[in-house]
Amino acid sequence: MAVETAERPAAQATQPSAVEDSGRFQRYRIRTGMFAWMMHRLTGVGLVVYLIIHVWGLKSLTDPTAFNALIAKYHAPIYKVGEFGLLVAVVYHAMNGLRIVLIDFLGWSPKQKKLFVVLGIVALVLIAVGGYPSIYSLLAHYGAV
Amino acid sequence: MASSKSNAVNWFLHRITGTFLVFMLITHFWVQHYDHSVASVTTDVVAQEGELPTYSDEAAAGVKAKFGADAEVTPYNVVMQRLADPVYAVLWKGFNILFLIVALHHGFYGLNNVLTDYIRNPLGRVMARVLSWSVALVLLIIGLYSVITAGW
Repeated sequence: MAVETAERPAAQATQPSAVEDSGRFQRYRIRTGMFAWMMHRLTGVGLVVYLIIHVWGLKSLTDPTAFNALIAKYHAPIYKVGEFGLLVAVVYHAMNGLRIVLIDFLGWSPKQKKLFVVLGIVALVLIAVGGYPSIYSLLAHYGAV
Repeated sequence: MASSKSNAVNWFLHRITGTFLVFMLITHFWVQHYDHSVASVTTDVVAQEGELPTYSDEAAAGVKAKFGADAEVTPYNVVMQRLADPVYAVLWKGFNILFLIVALHHGFYGLNNVLTDYIRNPLGRVMARVLSWSVALVLLIIGLYSVITAGW
């Protein structure tokens, strides 16, 4: 990755502009891609932790009383926040994962920056529409709406 | 080399399972949160001990139609509309089993990629791999047992 130094701008100024442009593009792409990759990893690990808790909790499907207690617990205010966080993690991981699949299988790497922006907008819409009920009911519970 | 070949297969599978999961999660979220007649998790906030979430009239009608007029509209009965049916349940249980296998493979393969990146020691890598896939196996057994025996 490019490292910013005091000497670098002077050195680049002597080079043809095409080289300078490609260098700038490359540096920008790595930064966006790096952020996307880090978030993918972070949400991925979080989702595995959630998957473990989720499957473990569903043991109670064999016992009506325990299952009712578990589902009642999932309606507590803190779980509404968790539900929203889960949606954000799933939507991000799914949309960025879709971007990875399109790049790997359909060779869309020249379009990956554009893809990141478009799928980012789709993700924000899905989070807003899907997360609205959780957040609204939470605010209603505390009398804020 | 056998290991590099299996890595390529798993790399490919990771993308396939990921794509499948997008569609399966849409179904899962829809059924569990947005379908008023069968969703077990509602928008209700329950803060009191012993209190149960309230369900829609459609859900109440469905439960009473299936389990009798005096059946209580509890989370368990709402879910059992789908899972206690002798015919319909096969489809949902089949979906859940497939979902479980695909999610566990995707999640734990991904986790292993992360662990391999940060653990440099070869023995440590083997231990992390054995440990994480053991957890996955335990979850698979618990999940299969829960899904298959639920309501039967």
